[in-house]
Amino acid sequence: MAAIEESGGGGHKKGAGVKKQARKDARVDMTPMVDLGFLLITFFIFTTTINSPKAFKLNVPDDSAKDDEQTEAKASGAFTVLLSKDNNVFYYEGQLASDGSNFKSSSFKEIRAELLRKKANTPEKDLVVIIKPDENSVYKNVVDMLDEMQITDIRRYAVVDIFPGEVELIKATQGSSPAAK
Amino acid sequence: MSKLNKIARKSTWVDMTAFVDVSFLILTFFMLATKFKPPEVIKIDNPKSVSSEKVDDKDVFKVSFDGEGRVFISFSSDKEGKEKAQLTAEVLSRQKGLGLTPAEISNFKKFSVGGIGVPVSQLKSFLALSDEDYKKFKQPGIPVADTLNNQLDTYINALLTGTGGRKPANVMLNGDNGTKYPYFKNVLAAFKKNGIFSFKLITSLEGVPTGTPLYKKQNAQAK
Repeated sequence: MAAIEESGGGGHKKGAGVKKQARKDARVDMTPMVDLGFLLITFFIFTTTINSPKAFKLNVPDDSAKDDEQTEAKASGAFTVLLSKDNNVFYYEGQLASDGSNFKSSSFKEIRAELLRKKANTPEKDLVVIIKPDENSVYKNVVDMLDEMQITDIRRYAVVDIFPGEVELIKATQGSSPAAK
Repeated sequence: MSKLNKIARKSTWVDMTAFVDVSFLILTFFMLATKFKPPEVIKIDNPKSVSSEKVDDKDVFKVSFDGEGRVFISFSSDKEGKEKAQLTAEVLSRQKGLGLTPAEISNFKKFSVGGIGVPVSQLKSFLALSDEDYKKFKQPGIPVADTLNNQLDTYINALLTGTGGRKPANVMLNGDNGTKYPYFKNVLAAFKKNGIFSFKLITSLEGVPTGTPLYKKQNAQAK
């Protein structure tokens, strides 16, 4: 078994003429020590929080600001993202057409490409992304979308309440097509 | 002597010293790197983000909501956090006529590390609980759904009144993946109403996808 040996020649055979010495065995059995060590390691592993949480800074605007002080978004630079249940994502550029023709369906995987395309085609000072979560979307969707803003390096974005007309459009779209995963 | 006798018996001793060294090295690493899990009464599954900023644990005021939409407030366990919890409890007691005893206020300080999630009306009976009962007690959460009776607003207002308008250094929002958006909106509304416009969301780290503008920016900074 495990031990520290005093000298290297453990299996060394002595010749016939060598006088026998009563040498004390200096080996220490280390097995319990190893056991103890690993027991403690296991304990620490289980009590440790490996993923320390990170902070995501969020600044929200003051709603009580007067209307004339609010920044006007240019319709051409606006990109509206709508979030709904089952991680569905919809978007439209500029203003929503009255017949809903520019209302498109997307997903969390595809929206980044759309955002980057919009970013490339729009002067930076005009670009503003409007995030509108409906009441069936979950917190994760909102944070994912805010995160997407970080990833695509879009500075101007806002989380805004959804309009009833948009809710209707989402419902109509969700009714006709199966929920995207 | 014949050759047969000469076969040396191999020793079965294994030198475990190196093994012990390694195991204690790992042990030391874990001991130093460990931060014990704080006693959580709420189970929250944080969303992921690319943000890599560390969470500061000094002078924290944290609002948490779990998957069912139960809202909790908590303070950090350091001196500033304790002081703010004390002030909040005192102001609440005065404003709402709760008549909290010093023992109940000290319980407020103690429970506020783990999380307090009861309507103001139930606060007094909640603070009478013992430590054991606190862990077992299923708190209903602070009601936020009703805009006219958003009690998170009451709590934050009490906090800011107590400190004389001085905001905690770290206002954090600890939300669960599955919470419906309206809860988040109502929590935001309570923040905004009290003039808190800058805060931090607690998230867990995920890698920055390659090829994206943020990835390029970070690479450029690293060079």
